[in-house]
Amino acid sequence: MNKPLIVSLLAVGAAFAAQAQSEASVALSLVPIASVAGTASVAGAASAVLAVPVALSVGGAVLTVVAVEASVAGTVYLLERASDGARASVRLAGRAAQGSAIAVGTVVTVSVIGSGIVLSAAGEMLAFIPNAIGRALLHNERLM
Amino acid sequence: MNPHAHPPFGHGDDVGRQAKAPRWRGRVRAALRAALLAAAVALAGLFLFPTRSHAGRSCEQARPTAQQVQQGMALAERTSQALDASGARVVLLARAGQDLGPYGLRWSHVGIAYKTDEGPWRVAHKLNQCGTAVAGLYRQGLGEFFLDDPWRYEAAWSVPSPAVQSKLVALLAASPAAGIGRLHTPAYSLVSYAWADRYQQSNQWAIETLALAMAPSTLTDRRQAQAWLRGNGYAPTTLRLGPMTRLGGRMSKANVAFDDHPNEKRFADRIETVTADSVFAWLQRSGLGAAPVTLVP
Repeated sequence: MNKPLIVSLLAVGAAFAAQAQSEASVALSLVPIASVAGTASVAGAASAVLAVPVALSVGGAVLTVVAVEASVAGTVYLLERASDGARASVRLAGRAAQGSAIAVGTVVTVSVIGSGIVLSAAGEMLAFIPNAIGRALLHNERLM
Repeated sequence: MNPHAHPPFGHGDDVGRQAKAPRWRGRVRAALRAALLAAAVALAGLFLFPTRSHAGRSCEQARPTAQQVQQGMALAERTSQALDASGARVVLLARAGQDLGPYGLRWSHVGIAYKTDEGPWRVAHKLNQCGTAVAGLYRQGLGEFFLDDPWRYEAAWSVPSPAVQSKLVALLAASPAAGIGRLHTPAYSLVSYAWADRYQQSNQWAIETLALAMAPSTLTDRRQAQAWLRGNGYAPTTLRLGPMTRLGGRMSKANVAFDDHPNEKRFADRIETVTADSVFAWLQRSGLGAAPVTLVP
């Protein structure tokens, strides 16, 4: 089995949270933006590109939520790929987890696009994990 | 007949009684007419001013679908690649946030996109806040720009001439207060008059800021920027909006106002406002920018 990796979903970063009153950012604040942090064993691996878990690396893969655990850093979801049992742990930071439809038994579909990974359930957006390209495309800052 | 003896809309109480319609029926009809008029006014307003304003979506708490995120991010990625390939440092970038086809317009919102020293493109633009009467200036990534629930997942941009790009780069390098925010007016109307300074909509901010970039030492206020634009051939779009539509928009939307338009134009149904399409046409016509490039993934 593949080593479980922690995917830290830094759902709504400070820049996003600060813009909650904006038309645009309200919509965006509801997109759980993610970054891959890796497990403790690979702590420090800041690059999302390097740390994408195998379980999340193939588009069209179907995973099931097998555990949910709340923590100080957010809510951690353990996902298991149906085809081979490969696992990945996903952490949604505070605000992103609010209103999340993820629960034990939820079937999650992986979509791989050029800028990252989209996790969804029945078409509903659960999380977006940008890679380096995706991170370069995301920025939200109010100037005045 | 005692009008209270029958329910107002009871069956079988119409035939043969038209000539002696009781007073209550007249009142009902009057009320119905008023309700229909109000509905017509509201619908007329909503036709032009749907829930999704051109500067972004309303503050409804709806999480985007996975497909929307995929489409928006894909458009952002392709736009970034195309802009890199263009060799431009600054462009006027537009999106299609609502269907303005009935008005002959293709693009709803324009911002100033520029390539940062670090590499990613950023968009400086003005966003209305939750349909209120105010707006703010933002710097966003192309992802945010195109994830904002567009009507069509398409992009368009005009590459300004090298001289204009240099001027814009210089203005963008300054602090917001001393640079691109100098002519920002928070008071917002979706259809603000192009030649007034009571309100300022997003596209208006973009070209007034372009004017400021071109003459930063001589332009000190919006009126002067507008004079510069007029002198350099900019012409706003004239929307033909009848009284019903104007009233409906004003009644149903906090971010719609017409009191900055001259009476002679307003009451002639001529609403002159800055549109992305008119900006593109002007840039090309004046030689300040190239013909717009459209990206349809």
